[in-house]
Amino acid sequence: MKIDGGCHCGHITYAAEIDPEKVVICHCTDCQTMSGTAFRVSARVPDSDFHLLSGTPKIYIKIGASGRDREQVFCPECGTHIYAAYPGPEPQDISLRLGTIRQRAQLEPTRQIWQGSAQSWVNDLAHIPVVKEP
Amino acid sequence: MKVDGGCHCGQITFEAEIDPAKVGICHCTDCQTMSGAPYNAVVQVPEADFTLKSGTLKMYVKTAESGNKRAQMFCPECGNRIYATSAGDPPGGGPKFFGIRIGVINQRRELSPKRQIWHRSAQPWVNDLADIPVVETQ
Repeated sequence: MKIDGGCHCGHITYAAEIDPEKVVICHCTDCQTMSGTAFRVSARVPDSDFHLLSGTPKIYIKIGASGRDREQVFCPECGTHIYAAYPGPEPQDISLRLGTIRQRAQLEPTRQIWQGSAQSWVNDLAHIPVVKEP
Repeated sequence: MKVDGGCHCGQITFEAEIDPAKVGICHCTDCQTMSGAPYNAVVQVPEADFTLKSGTLKMYVKTAESGNKRAQMFCPECGNRIYATSAGDPPGGGPKFFGIRIGVINQRRELSPKRQIWHRSAQPWVNDLADIPVVETQ
């Protein structure tokens, strides 16, 4: 599936070819902190199928639970996180943040990881009152 | 309730006095893009109840659908979003409120959302997380 997207301010834009079956929810505490919300959702994309079309992202390296460095790639202008990847030239799947994909309404997660640290309320959204916008 | 927190790299730290009843979810498309996730979870606090303890935030101003200008405050080193507030005086006057992202609060496990806004742009699967297979490891 061809998709495209970018950060909020428009500095970063990209196009990619993704497999809609490879959309993953991550409940790890790093994803909670860095997204600012309950969990993060990513599409796993071969790096050769991801094409940065504009902008210069900034890279922040965190150490994953595996002990490996993990690059967090974000827009330095608006702070929107775009993807995560391992450093180095080896072919890999990058984790493209679902919220930045323009076609995200057509994508649904197919699995969840790190559920041991999931926020307790995430399965019960239907019970939280909805306030109608004007 | 006293809380503290900060960004992932540790540059930004803060303390705040929050009302756990003021935790909400926002499904707007801007929150989706900027969190990278399907929705944002936020606790609203009066500006006076938020204390930046360390670090220098970067501001990105976005214009909301209402025309209001919102300042999105994030760590320029790791890109971690911390809070959003009105850019300039709040519309309608009164004190400014900071919408702190709950993911940056150390005590977030004690917090749960009490309302949802911009539900019309909610991703269709967010009520059905229990149906998505869980894998124990990556």
